[in-house]
Amino acid sequence: MAASSPESEGAGMSELLISDNETVEQDQVSGENNVASGTKKLKVSKKSAKAKKRKGPGLRDVSILENPHRNKWRLIRWSFLLSVNFLFFASFYFDVQILEGSLSGSRLLGFHLADPFAALQMMLASQVFNINLIIGTTTVIIIYLLLGGRFFCSWVCPYHILAEWGETLHKYLLHKRIIKRNHMFNDRFKYFFFALFLLLSAFSGYTIFEVINPVAILSRSIVYGAGLIILWVVALLLFEIFYSRRAWCRYFCPVGVSYNLIGRIAPFKIHWNVKKCSNCKKCQRACMVPWVLKETVNMGAADYVVSGDCTRCGLCLDACEDGALSYNIRYLDKLI
Amino acid sequence: MKKAITRRFFFKKTSTAVIAGGAVVYGVAGVPLLKSKELLLRPPGALDEDTFLASCIKCGQCLQVCPPQVIDLAGISQGLGIGTPFIVPQQGACILCKGLPCVLACPTGALDHQISEGKEAAMGLAVLSKPETCLARKGENDILYELSRTTFETRLQALAETLTKLVPRLTFDEKKTISAELGLGNLELSGIPRIVAEMTPELFAWLKKYVAETEQTKTACRICLQTCPISSEQPIVFQAEKEANPESSKLNSVEKMRPVVQRTCVGCGVCEEKCPTTPPSITIVSRKKWQPQALKVKVQA
Repeated sequence: MAASSPESEGAGMSELLISDNETVEQDQVSGENNVASGTKKLKVSKKSAKAKKRKGPGLRDVSILENPHRNKWRLIRWSFLLSVNFLFFASFYFDVQILEGSLSGSRLLGFHLADPFAALQMMLASQVFNINLIIGTTTVIIIYLLLGGRFFCSWVCPYHILAEWGETLHKYLLHKRIIKRNHMFNDRFKYFFFALFLLLSAFSGYTIFEVINPVAILSRSIVYGAGLIILWVVALLLFEIFYSRRAWCRYFCPVGVSYNLIGRIAPFKIHWNVKKCSNCKKCQRACMVPWVLKETVNMGAADYVVSGDCTRCGLCLDACEDGALSYNIRYLDKLI
Repeated sequence: MKKAITRRFFFKKTSTAVIAGGAVVYGVAGVPLLKSKELLLRPPGALDEDTFLASCIKCGQCLQVCPPQVIDLAGISQGLGIGTPFIVPQQGACILCKGLPCVLACPTGALDHQISEGKEAAMGLAVLSKPETCLARKGENDILYELSRTTFETRLQALAETLTKLVPRLTFDEKKTISAELGLGNLELSGIPRIVAEMTPELFAWLKKYVAETEQTKTACRICLQTCPISSEQPIVFQAEKEANPESSKLNSVEKMRPVVQRTCVGCGVCEEKCPTTPPSITIVSRKKWQPQALKVKVQA
């Protein structure tokens, strides 16, 4: 039920991507950003792009319709995400025992894995410290210390891919002037949620957040079949499509916060080569989280994208024409 | 510099406050409301309900490893425990598998790793909730009861199940008679699908009539004990019914027995699933602890 609408969005997305690829050459010649939704509409869409450009900041709202030069990392990421979730699905339906369980708790070839935020809530709520749970949580923390924090979000989380397609739809609706604007919340909201739900689980003795956790709900729905609760995920998606772009991931998700905190000290980061950068800001338009690249690329504060909200999705790598951005390991040069 | 309160600014702050407030209200007030009214039957080894709810990570690994596939995950209609495992015995009961794979699979210890055998699984307790329909109390044989409710046109599947129960209970001569009549070489469990497939109304009528004369009809229904996965622990004891049951049927001259649940019952629910009556006469009360008979009388008094 939930999957039907986002899948159709996904189909729309791929059409857009194909049409974008068709216009790559034209784009390079004209040096303009096309807002192309089909070769026939090319002229019309160019006009609207110009109209947008005059407005200045509004341009950012249609960024994904502009020419994404390559889709290398996006395709790698999507196939990784889909195959991880397919492994969960296959573990139950086809009894393939590689990755058993669901995203909140699983076994990779028999080794325990547990979602750190869920585990933290449970330890606070039940005051029981189970050794398997601690092992599972530590393993996940180590994995994401190596992979880079919110790597989980864009490479594993099934809600992310739906939200990504929802984002494309949101941008399309903005472009067509069906919705007027994207409503923003304070990006520190999620830290408040993180603390709030931890406190609530400590005081109520129950893992309250797990009832409304769209990541866990979606993951369980994929593996064991959907119940009525999936409507909550649909409602969230609709909220994101029509009101606030990617609101859950950007402003609210406490699961993301737990990986955000891990990701801050994780050495696997996006490297920004200042010498190659032509300051075109295309990476910022491609980036799914508006404040992630600002700290680095705008302010020049660091050679690496240091924001905890960076999901290592690689969209900026695809967008960069100068080759100034790359996956890299921080402090590696100092070690060697 | 003072910022003017525009409408947009006002709505922004209000919506922020509403979302934050909603989360707090949900957490504080919503929890007791969302809790399930009836206790669900949890898989073996579940901690006490509150601790279980708090320590279950809702991953569903117990469900994945369950050999009879009877564990289900709670949805919104089961209250607060969304994603927690539960069992509905009537749709399929826990058979207390050897080694308890669900307990081994639990990553959080919500299913307690202290237990390793089926007889230690304290899930609940079987209760003779409808003593008036219990076949043992009426002195009725379960196979006769099932056959009397089976018609040739509609219940061939039920017939296969009844025959599966019947065949091991027949004596050698009875088996011989039935296989001669049905034109089979030997009456075995593996031959049952063929019998059902080749069944005709005449044969069915004969079978019904013949089964009523067999030796095994002289004992009352004992399905709850016979199907019990831990029957060696004697979780159910049959005691002779003292007072005459007014509802006893005309079918029999069999001794009336009363199933009495003992301390060793773990509440797996197989007796509820297999009970021939609908609704089942014996049911599981989740989380219930066994009390001696004398104590029960005292409490009632």
